[in-house]
Amino acid sequence: MKIRFKLNGRAVSWDCEPGETLRAALRRKGIVSVRDGCDGEGSCGLCAVILDGRLVNSCQILAPQAEGSSVLTVDYYSNERKLSIVQRALIEASCVQCGYCTPAVVLALHDLLERSPRPSDEELRDALSGTLCRCTGYEQFYEAARIASERLADPEYVVPLGPEFRPDLRHVGKDRDKVDAPALARGEKAFVEDRVDADACHLKLLTSPHAHAWIKRVDVSKALEMPGVVDIVTHENCPDLVYTTAGQGFPEPSPHDQRMFPRKVRHVGDRVAAVLAETPEEAQAALEAIVVEYEVLKPVLSIAEAKAPGAPIVHHGDVSYVVGDPPAGSSVKGDGRDDPIVYQFPLHADPHRNLAASVADGIGDAEKGFAEADVVIERTYVGKRVQCTPMEPHVVYAKVDADRLVIHASTQVPWHLRRIVSRAIGIPENKVRVIKERVGGGFGAKQDIVLEDVAGYMAWKTRRPVLFRYDRAMEFMTSRTRHGMEITVKLGAKRDGTLTAMEMRVEADTGPYGQHCLTVPMNAVSKSLPLILCDNARFTVKTYYTNLSPAGAYQGYGAPKGSFALQGTLAELAAELGMDQLDLIEKNRVRSGSRIEILRSLGEGRPGAPVTLGECGLGEMIARGRKAFAWDEPKPVSDDPDWKIGRGAVIIQQGSGLPGLDAANAELRLLTDGTLLMLSGGADLGTGLDTVTAKAAAEIMGLDMADVTVVSGDTDTTPFDKGAYASSGTYFSGNAAVRAAEDLRDKCVKVAAGLLGEPASDLGIQPGGIVRGKRGEISLAKLAHMATQGEGHGDLVGFGNFKTDHAAFPYGAHFTEAAVNVRTGEVKLRRFHAYQDCGTPINPALAIGQIYGGVMKAIGHSLYEEMLYDSEGRPLNLGFTDYKIPSIFEVPDDFHVELVPVEDEVGPFGGKSVSEISLNSAAPAISIAIHDAVGAWCRVWPFTPERVLRAMGKL
Amino acid sequence: MVKEYFKPTDVEEALGLLSAPGALALAGGTWALAFEGRDKPERVVDLGAALPRSIERRGEATRIGAYATFQEIIESAAAPAVVKAAAASMANRNTRNRATIGGNLGANKSCASLVPVLLALGASVESKARGKPSATMPLADWLSRPEGLVLTVIVPADAGVRAASLRASRTACDIATATAACAYRLEGGKLSGLRVAVGGFGPHAELRPDIAALFEGEALPPKADIEKAVGPLLAALADQRGSAEYKRLRGAALVADALYSAQELS
Repeated sequence: MKIRFKLNGRAVSWDCEPGETLRAALRRKGIVSVRDGCDGEGSCGLCAVILDGRLVNSCQILAPQAEGSSVLTVDYYSNERKLSIVQRALIEASCVQCGYCTPAVVLALHDLLERSPRPSDEELRDALSGTLCRCTGYEQFYEAARIASERLADPEYVVPLGPEFRPDLRHVGKDRDKVDAPALARGEKAFVEDRVDADACHLKLLTSPHAHAWIKRVDVSKALEMPGVVDIVTHENCPDLVYTTAGQGFPEPSPHDQRMFPRKVRHVGDRVAAVLAETPEEAQAALEAIVVEYEVLKPVLSIAEAKAPGAPIVHHGDVSYVVGDPPAGSSVKGDGRDDPIVYQFPLHADPHRNLAASVADGIGDAEKGFAEADVVIERTYVGKRVQCTPMEPHVVYAKVDADRLVIHASTQVPWHLRRIVSRAIGIPENKVRVIKERVGGGFGAKQDIVLEDVAGYMAWKTRRPVLFRYDRAMEFMTSRTRHGMEITVKLGAKRDGTLTAMEMRVEADTGPYGQHCLTVPMNAVSKSLPLILCDNARFTVKTYYTNLSPAGAYQGYGAPKGSFALQGTLAELAAELGMDQLDLIEKNRVRSGSRIEILRSLGEGRPGAPVTLGECGLGEMIARGRKAFAWDEPKPVSDDPDWKIGRGAVIIQQGSGLPGLDAANAELRLLTDGTLLMLSGGADLGTGLDTVTAKAAAEIMGLDMADVTVVSGDTDTTPFDKGAYASSGTYFSGNAAVRAAEDLRDKCVKVAAGLLGEPASDLGIQPGGIVRGKRGEISLAKLAHMATQGEGHGDLVGFGNFKTDHAAFPYGAHFTEAAVNVRTGEVKLRRFHAYQDCGTPINPALAIGQIYGGVMKAIGHSLYEEMLYDSEGRPLNLGFTDYKIPSIFEVPDDFHVELVPVEDEVGPFGGKSVSEISLNSAAPAISIAIHDAVGAWCRVWPFTPERVLRAMGKL
Repeated sequence: MVKEYFKPTDVEEALGLLSAPGALALAGGTWALAFEGRDKPERVVDLGAALPRSIERRGEATRIGAYATFQEIIESAAAPAVVKAAAASMANRNTRNRATIGGNLGANKSCASLVPVLLALGASVESKARGKPSATMPLADWLSRPEGLVLTVIVPADAGVRAASLRASRTACDIATATAACAYRLEGGKLSGLRVAVGGFGPHAELRPDIAALFEGEALPPKADIEKAVGPLLAALADQRGSAEYKRLRGAALVADALYSAQELS
């Protein structure tokens, strides 16, 4: 049918189907900025448009309903590449991280300012009430609204400078626009879904309705004959090999235990068949025509069930080892029917007893330490499964071009993706190109090859372009979640609080496959025990297979759950000793010059080594929090008898990449006009990594940010990088960029020395891109021009490789003040302060935004989020209506981030990692605050009102 | 799959179009297109041009057109504050800009934002069934046997009546775990004409005379006593928003808080 309406001020007349949503029609007509994060439930707001002056979700409006209306999209504000007041303000307030929600936020703020040019905070919350953002933590939106409001009144308004660092540097330590922010704020094509050709075929999966079952028979004959069907793949005709989907350095510390299509399904949502068809509807119709016969097995739905004698066996194939021997007593002979498991090296596993990996180690003599203690306590903390929920679900577009497989990916690991997919398909890596597009949030979920293998395989096999996009339900069911963990901590201490022994026993649930099964749970120990100095410490880690959803990487990795258990138990010990919680931490924490012996036993998949810490900023961070919260004064008292107030504080740490394991590379080219092209292997997933590498180039080459363009994460055009995980972006990829810039600088100086006839030692690069000696000077533009002429020295290109054995720890001290309702168990966060050391903040406001976002995610995990299953292992909350992530309403009343930098001697310009650490504090801090308020320990996250009431004995 | 889209301009025409089996009456679409409309019906009847939308005060009552959105109710000078508050409890502005009062009644979900307060206030509706003249009846009656379309919701605002509407949810934008609304007069310090409606304890939000009877004619008891008395009367199904036991406790606390927070309508 025909509809006529005004789109962005211009009359349009479109043909549409009666049931087509306005969002679908807009996208079909090239308006890509109306995104989709919730499958049309109306809970994410990313498809927002302004319809006749009202902000609405275009997914819940049929296109015919727009007849006669005015529809505004973000494109209305992006004319001629200009930025509106709001777009500019969002960039200046560092609100554009992944950018997937940004167009919706732009519209919401314009709508707000139209109604209220001087909006209150309450009005801002209302304006953004329908928009979910997982990256930013919402706090900086207040600043953006203030900036935009000021500019409305005064177009020349200048934003006051934020905190700056490293006065000796021009760009580093100063706020600069995030390099990809303008395009994202304008809602331009940037993401995988924007790269899809008109002739793309659509891939849909038939998934298992059972948590554990043999596929006895799968009949695709009828489906294959259906209209539009291009091909169907099942376990009967897929490549016959196993691999891991974990995007980790090779050889991976994760078992190769996943076949593209398994013979036995191991969770609800496991792959049974994939249909490639001309249209989504045809693919769906064919799926429904596939006949599958299952032999349903008893599922394993908890750690307790997994380790019970006689438990159903999740993986019962032959077990083999590429290097090393099976652990003594483990079972390796399979049932002759299940898919095999191949370990790259021993992980102390016994899969036929559902043990995917284990490790145990320690220092000193823990038994002796406990015997010497005056007080010993032992507590078990449980962290439920939570989902990463990037607003852009997993999506891939794969096609064959010039006899090569080209994969447009939303990934954190382009090179691991290339390796894993090429092996899965059985083609060499030179036949595969991976192009990382802008990533609409990853948070670890996109460290795994969740859907690229099957899309790549079907594109290669059929030579047809393949679009494969998860909907939100699939994202919840089959993407990666944080491992469920049960962690028992035992602490022994003298009466004065001196710890004599520590023990952590970690049990984790990896779900049906073993990606990250050793490293995530190990991380629960390795990022928590080293915070505390104790001569006697030991730990065990055991990870079990279950038939729940696949676990994997999630921002913070295992650290948030380890921190929850250890910091929580420390607080319980303080209570037992009658000590102030912070005094106990102060007595035992690491400090400048500490020798951290426990790191000897905490290498990730390789031998560790003790570290003597340089300067440590924890003392200053604790002191600042202590002062801000008037910690030594009586805590505030609520004037409402239903609400009790409590406080909690924790210290946290993370790493900065994986020293000795990973590496990054970058290349910096001087173009003929004197500008720069940074070819970074790094995978910016909205964090600002491309801005970090651009800054490195501009800083070292004496140019402005506008003189640098970054191309990153393209396996054809940029050099190898391990990818964005393990807090490695700034430290590894940033350092590679620094080295590439230094290499180019040195080459420029060398060539200029020849041209100027001066010794290189007399030359240096000055601001403005001038190579200046004692007698003469030459611009980089001229240098580049001369170098590329027939008589020149050739293209001036710098190359940087970074690897290190140096461990750089960011630290933090986070404080919270919570109010707990004694009648209902509800918890409100009155205050949350994060004092954090990320070394030199390369871009301070972006670093602060990363911390807000990290903390806010962890607040969600601590109070609201939990993946739920029924007694058959069926997931119960598969969308944002039922699985609640925080909106702007859940932001703490007083939310504050303060950077307390301690420069790292190896990090780029002294920088360290910033983001992941931020997730390690909320659970223990809030749990401690709840106890402080109402005297009940909540040891299971999330602390739902019901769990709080149960802990209080009221239920 | 939707094959037909109609936007009738009068109610009788709309009712005729809706008489086809499985036809979807489309108001704001925030529920129908998000959930129930997932398996799209073959015929959609957009009620946007057929239903009244104005909000006006007539005497002691407020008349709210069925197609008035939640946001329009909030912005209206005519709507009672307690109804505005109930509309605002749907925290998502994008949704409030589309969701209509008629849609809220038509969907009649247990978690409905407006239904409890309208029931507590003793609202009536003017509705119309196909081929019949329009009729006015108590909202509770229409909800128990919905027929035709609601045209207008009539909310009494009698002087001296106090009312409140509260909800409990996991996050601000979650659908309600439980809702409670009440309306009463204080006569000589005692509750008079008390009506209590709750949501989350059955398939629909509903008036609970049994709860009201506990306190009718009595001075407002302490909250703990209210909770103790109300709790046993609330039965909920356990789901991802909580166990039956928790919901009972939470609902009783909501009723107590509603009784205590009720404000005069004027």
